[in-house]
Amino acid sequence: MSALLELEDVHCGYGQTSVLHGVTLAVPEGGIVSLLGANGAGKTTTLRAITGGVRWLGEIRFAGRSLRRMPTEDIVSLGISHVPEGRGILTELTVDENLKLGAHKRKDGAAVHKDYDRVFEYFPVLRDRRRLSASTLSGGEQQMLAVARAMLMKPRLMLLDEPSLGLAPLVVRSIFEIIRTINQTDHVAVLLVEQNARLALELSTDAYVLEVGRVAVSGKSADLQGQDSVRRSYLGY
Amino acid sequence: MQELIQQVVSGLASGGIFASLALALVLIYNAMGLVNFAQGEMAMFATFIAYTLISHGLNYFIAFPLTLGLAFVGGVLIERVVIRPVERAPVLTLVIVTLGLATLINGAAGFFFGYTPNYFSSPFSTHTVNILGAFASYQDLSVIAVSAVVLLAIFLLLQRTTIGLTLRAAAHHPEASRLLGIRVSWMLALGWGLASAVGAVSGIMVAPILLLEPNMMQTIIIYAFAAAVLGGIDSPLGAVVGGLIVGVTVNLVGAYVVGGDLELAVALAIIVGVLVLKPNGLFGRAAVRIV
Repeated sequence: MSALLELEDVHCGYGQTSVLHGVTLAVPEGGIVSLLGANGAGKTTTLRAITGGVRWLGEIRFAGRSLRRMPTEDIVSLGISHVPEGRGILTELTVDENLKLGAHKRKDGAAVHKDYDRVFEYFPVLRDRRRLSASTLSGGEQQMLAVARAMLMKPRLMLLDEPSLGLAPLVVRSIFEIIRTINQTDHVAVLLVEQNARLALELSTDAYVLEVGRVAVSGKSADLQGQDSVRRSYLGY
Repeated sequence: MQELIQQVVSGLASGGIFASLALALVLIYNAMGLVNFAQGEMAMFATFIAYTLISHGLNYFIAFPLTLGLAFVGGVLIERVVIRPVERAPVLTLVIVTLGLATLINGAAGFFFGYTPNYFSSPFSTHTVNILGAFASYQDLSVIAVSAVVLLAIFLLLQRTTIGLTLRAAAHHPEASRLLGIRVSWMLALGWGLASAVGAVSGIMVAPILLLEPNMMQTIIIYAFAAAVLGGIDSPLGAVVGGLIVGVTVNLVGAYVVGGDLELAVALAIIVGVLVLKPNGLFGRAAVRIV
């Protein structure tokens, strides 16, 4: 069976600078895959290539369909929600308006209603702050809002760019738990970019380690965790 | 006292006109960080269309909404044809493009409709009505009412509808909006269409007071700039409040202090004063970007 998301020999860059030199990876339906590596290895660029934020060569397929030359809006409508670097919160809008934008293209009104209830069950703090400007939220709350909004898009695949960045360890734990819950109850596949390799490997089933735009190591997360040499050379713990 | 109230009422009427055009400027500024110097000319052209429809026997109250609809379509077309190719160009390029557009529309109006001033009759009489001892003309009152309805409609559209929500999102965060499935490029066109329609209201309202000719809006746009700058160039509410303040101030200062000939200078003084003392205006966001 082919994977939900497949990247084959993807090259891309910004202007003259090339960032990815042939990345090949796959995310299975309903799986959690982590994408690890140092700063500047090309993790964020990989996610941006998937949702059409940068031009690329090679092949990217989602559910068997090529994403070549597809504009971001159309890719997103296929069922990919991308929580970008910096979370993509619309700080001029309220918490509620941010959530509404997640669901604004959906036609299944009753299901949207149910999803709102679940979102508020996972993140009760968002219910309390519904009417407030999103700019008043703390970093952790903004990350929760970003994940909640991504969930309301009812995706088949979530791309999460460093959800742990700048957050307290306890907050990170709870957000990761919820990502796991979403993955299990809704069968949403997750491609997780992380600097915190230890946490990411605990959560994911498969992992890829990028090094200067190439996949240096890949395999089952449990195996990578077990290999001391891999951990020391690539993951830094 | 009575005369003062009359001056205030007629100031509010001009203020409503300035507010509509200022709101049009704000809508486009918000969508793409650009001051549209062609806004006044677009409004003038729309007013000529209304005039043509009415002089062909169409009822004013049918011609008015029909013109707004045509102005909307025209705004969308201008964005698609003229602005889209230079969408990602530096702001200065865009400013020059809108200046060129202003000249072009002005010339086109002269070519199609001529430079002879036309008397644009209003369905509202200039007779006055006594309100609490002060006299206000039906025309002033109708201008105030129409402006209020249009501004309220825009407010409701932006704040209470999904399309308004996506418009605001696309204006502030284009990248993040694309990731939410919003067609940012079409939102720009929609913004231009709305701005064009709102601006057309100011043209149709002002035409019976001035005379309709291709240069009709060239002073009005200065007042609209003053209103937008005073309110904070990125704030729709600011445009409305700014418009009313500019309208009343200009009227009072013109009547009691400097005389009618210097009214435009008052508007320019407001622009300079605000930019020096409070560059963000009354309701504008601080001009600080977090990078």
